Amino acid sequence: MEFLQQLVFALVLGLSYALIAIGLTMVYGILKILHVAHAGIYTLGAYVGLLVVTHLTHNFWVALIAGMVASGLAGVLIYRGVYYYILRRSRIVPLIVSIGIFAAMNEFYRLVFGPYQHAFPAKLAFPMVITPYFVITPKQLLIIALTAVFLLALYFVFNRTKVGLAWQACSQDLAMAGAVGVPVDRAVALNFLLGSALAGAAGILMAFYRNEVYPTMGNVVAYKAFVVVVLGGFGSIRGSVIAGLLLALVETFLGSLEWFEFPRDAIAFLLLIFVLMFRPKGLFGRL
Amino acid sequence: MRRLTIGFLLFAFIGGLALAGETVKIGFFSPLTGFAAADGHAALIGAQIAVDFINAAGGINGKPVELVYYDDACRADQASAIARKLIEQDQVVIAVSGSYSTPTRAAAKIFQEAGVPMISAYAIHPSIIETGHLIFRVGMGAPVEGVAGAHLAVEILGAKRIAVLTMDNDFGVSLSEYFVKTAKELGAEIVFEKKFPLGEREFRAMLAQVKLKNPDLIWATGYYGEAASIVSQARELGIEATILGQEGYDSPKFIELAGEAAEGVIIVTDLNRDSDREIVQKFLAEYEKRAGHPADMVAASAFDAVKVAAHAIAVAGTDAEAIAKAINDIRHMYDVVTGPFYAFLGREAIRPVEVQIVREGAFRFFHTFTEPEIIIPPEL
Repeated sequence: MEFLQQLVFALVLGLSYALIAIGLTMVYGILKILHVAHAGIYTLGAYVGLLVVTHLTHNFWVALIAGMVASGLAGVLIYRGVYYYILRRSRIVPLIVSIGIFAAMNEFYRLVFGPYQHAFPAKLAFPMVITPYFVITPKQLLIIALTAVFLLALYFVFNRTKVGLAWQACSQDLAMAGAVGVPVDRAVALNFLLGSALAGAAGILMAFYRNEVYPTMGNVVAYKAFVVVVLGGFGSIRGSVIAGLLLALVETFLGSLEWFEFPRDAIAFLLLIFVLMFRPKGLFGRL
Repeated sequence: MRRLTIGFLLFAFIGGLALAGETVKIGFFSPLTGFAAADGHAALIGAQIAVDFINAAGGINGKPVELVYYDDACRADQASAIARKLIEQDQVVIAVSGSYSTPTRAAAKIFQEAGVPMISAYAIHPSIIETGHLIFRVGMGAPVEGVAGAHLAVEILGAKRIAVLTMDNDFGVSLSEYFVKTAKELGAEIVFEKKFPLGEREFRAMLAQVKLKNPDLIWATGYYGEAASIVSQARELGIEATILGQEGYDSPKFIELAGEAAEGVIIVTDLNRDSDREIVQKFLAEYEKRAGHPADMVAASAFDAVKVAAHAIAVAGTDAEAIAKAINDIRHMYDVVTGPFYAFLGREAIRPVEVQIVREGAFRFFHTFTEPEIIIPPEL
């Protein structure tokens, strides 16, 4: 009973890691930029969702869609407004710019919404799963179901559509893809749109699950998602999903042991060091 | 060049004198940005209310009080820089920390070395007042709070099997240290003990282990964000044990975030919202008017720290040693929100320890400790 219940916790946590890491790895796969501001987009999704549920309607789905649209557009804005102009510079330039954007976003949220944690009063009728071996709460079930839908949709887009094909071409060689007629700019913008919308969805799901939204909620996410991306191998979506689940499993089981003195968030780095020692490219890396 | 410098210094000196003649400056720092910004703002509003109350009543010996405040972002390096600024540039008479333990410790060292008194409003780490003879605290220290929590758990709530969750920073570690020690002395068994980092939001794995140990009480340290996660996740897992918290929980935000799960949670704190003392109700009303939400113990403690500072200056003037003596000489100070302060012993305010319980979405009176063996720090 104990083991299966912990497995449920790990699954929910792992899927939330995967959801945020996917956007990061998509951006890295194509532009080779470490997009730190992605965590700011995650927070943005949560705040837009919060605005909807506090001012418009308590309906969770409306909040989710609004948050995803806003996050997606913000992602495109960051690409077209900023990264687009510095892509040719050394990789450190976009990285520093990205960190700056992230810090500015955090302060923006603080100034507009205040430093306080806000509760997330969305309403959602979702079933609860009760078995003799484990319990899945409605919110946990929502995360599992919704993430599964997102992952399947993403798989479809990547492998069965022209956009997906364009992304694959861009990630292999951006200049060459452009030379053979792939509309690179549009493909990259779409890439940001989708990846950022997923980050926004992750932000709303976590805000709903933990019942709180606050300016710095992206901080831990920022580095956790990086660990997941590195662990999975840069640019590999499958790797991110598996690494997210793996990290959550290790965190959940080690974190529940009373004698294990290490803080949970440090486990990510222990695991990272351990994996990189044997697989420097990450689990599914193609670097 | 040299003449210019001397002229400038002279000008600055005269200017300083003139300014000093106009207002009494009290320095203040709290985290207005970063993860602790909510508490920092609450503390600032509390301190400003104190200044406004004092000025409305005619200031200190006729001179108006001015609060000079900065944002330390809850960082020790910022707090050190601010301490130097308050001392050298603003030339404050006394400073008040509206910040957490780590920045407060850093600033305390600099104020002590520069010979400027400082009062910590609510930072609880024992080492803060050990910095030197000019450093005081109005909020409850960790030893008192931990010991009071243990007496509450074992003697009043009858707990025999206790699980301890400790936030791994100055605040959480020092609280749990005294709690565990005292609870064991009083005969309780600690069945589970684990640390978690500041900012942790995922306690389910840990709480599933706690549930297996079947404790009758959980002592969990944390600020209101961690606290809300612990409490709501514990109830989600069907843990029915009493959850005992401390001043970190003492915020209306805790109740908002934890929702239904907050009901019945008991906390050890400084502020009794149901007090019938006039100053308390006047402060609570004024705070809610300014902030738009109910006051917490952080705001109340900052208010009291400024009141103590003003009292000491009124009695002793601007000399640091005289101010220190005036604070040490305080007896039965009733004009404070988290008091009354019976005395300052070991530079720490000796005052009742309040216990509040969450009922119908609000903190309510549960118990007040006034026993000397509990409210006086164990090392005194």
